[in-house]
Amino acid sequence: MIVATHPDRVVVLRTICAREWREALGNRLLVAMTLLPPVVILFAGIIAVATAAIYPPSERDVQAIYAAAPAVVGLDPKEAVQGLIATYFLILFMLIPTVVPLTVAIYSVIGEKSARTLEPLLATPTRVGEILLAKSVASTIPAVLVTWIAYGIYLGAVGAIGSRAAVNAVTAPRWILAIIILVPLLTLLSVNLGILISTRVNDVRVAQQIGGLVVVPVVGLGIAQVSGRVVLNNESFVQTAVILIVLDVVVFLLARFAFQRENILVRWR
Amino acid sequence: MATVLSAQGLTKRFGKLVAVDGLDLEVREGEVFGFLGPNGAGKTTTLRLFCALIAPTAGTAEVAGHRLGHDDERIRAAVGILTEQPGLYERLSARENLQFYAALYGLSRATANAQVERFLRLMGLWDRRGEPVATFSRGMKQKMAIARAALHEPRVLFLDEPTTGLDPDAAKTVREFIVQLRAEGRTVFLCTHNLDEADRLCDRIAFFRRRLIRLDTPAQLRSELYGQVTEFRLLPSPRPDDLLRVERVEGVRAVHQDNGSLIVTSDDPPRTNARVVRALVEAGADVAWVTERKVPLEEVYLKIVEPAE
Repeated sequence: MIVATHPDRVVVLRTICAREWREALGNRLLVAMTLLPPVVILFAGIIAVATAAIYPPSERDVQAIYAAAPAVVGLDPKEAVQGLIATYFLILFMLIPTVVPLTVAIYSVIGEKSARTLEPLLATPTRVGEILLAKSVASTIPAVLVTWIAYGIYLGAVGAIGSRAAVNAVTAPRWILAIIILVPLLTLLSVNLGILISTRVNDVRVAQQIGGLVVVPVVGLGIAQVSGRVVLNNESFVQTAVILIVLDVVVFLLARFAFQRENILVRWR
Repeated sequence: MATVLSAQGLTKRFGKLVAVDGLDLEVREGEVFGFLGPNGAGKTTTLRLFCALIAPTAGTAEVAGHRLGHDDERIRAAVGILTEQPGLYERLSARENLQFYAALYGLSRATANAQVERFLRLMGLWDRRGEPVATFSRGMKQKMAIARAALHEPRVLFLDEPTTGLDPDAAKTVREFIVQLRAEGRTVFLCTHNLDEADRLCDRIAFFRRRLIRLDTPAQLRSELYGQVTEFRLLPSPRPDDLLRVERVEGVRAVHQDNGSLIVTSDDPPRTNARVVRALVEAGADVAWVTERKVPLEEVYLKIVEPAE
């Protein structure tokens, strides 16, 4: 006689993640939407650095760069341009963990809603919190990996074709820490926001439009950083990390509150 | 037989709407229990309550020895549910779908593999185990969903409209599977609008419309409402005074003519039928055959459920 039991948490996590990834890989549109932003940002970044290495900037451009980024004053104009471009694109890399996992997380919940697969899933002895956590992890891991891989390729490309200023910019310890620590935190925020939104809407496009708002503060911070209004020093780095951790916890708890067994079955349509 | 499912005053409200109103019920181990009622009667809500998917507003219930609201995870491990929609992962193969659920029911890898093979073979889907479920017909998906519900061999299996939309062959497979489950001692809680199917499969039937209207065996429900009905075929056809003659026979509750037959209702057919045959033969009638006539369950259903509206 077979006795079913509540499965081990690791088994739940592994099983749900494996299924989510297996299904996501079978969805060409989702794969394309996941890979497109990092590929575009990566290629644009490499081409921009390569172009700056080939074509020297005009005197007017050089003066504008010196005014915008005092740190590069005194450098060779070509090097200064490359350094500035490399830094700009690092900020764009921080957009990848906000855009990519949002789509995956939205598909993960709205896809199950429309396919009516949630009721059999909720009928298992698995806990709702475990299902939610597994879905978060399943959406977070690919986005973080994609960002890290894109950053690794960017590092290699800048190292091969870029100036010393460009290499210094992309290998700055704070940027490496930002990529290692802030990217997973931003990804989690985006994922749980995606799940939270998906509990309230049934259309992937609507959910993406609402979720897309998460990009705004990142872009704002990026512009502030480039314009010198905000400097990524140790203090601001720790502050950003702490704010993101708090936001991650709050949004996860909100998503957990919305992701109730009875709500899902009775109120979700 | 032991009780495997019981409810006392089980109630579920959604705001002002009362979906289930004070349900008292006992279901026995190893029986096929029919739960019949019109659309919107609260059958699916009741199923969800018993499967610990939603919480009751009032009342108590015990499923497979576990109290609702206290041991919900154990209840979910001990029951299986076939939902209205198959709800399968379309991009996964038949085997991957079942293996996924086997893992979530805590089955070991070896047990899961054995169970997946067993149920896919039982449902005639083993040859297509590697194909994505998206390529399956409606009937195949329904059989997959039934296999998923039974995969962990639950003590109680809740089936919501298991044969809806199936071709006769697939419906037969499902009915045979239900009979097999009963033979294994499992309890099947069957919601269906197919009254013929309920009549054939169910040991007991509950008529439900937000609350329990009636509960009994199909035979007892018929007998109480209609008595037991026998058809007497006369050749060439009943004469005008045959009807009056049969009406006067002891034990006959009612008699009417239907084409070439007399339809006789009585409480004790073995004794009464012999008297009826004797009376007809003595009056010179030719009795060609005598057969038991089952009142369709549909008539019983309409007579019980409609007035309860």
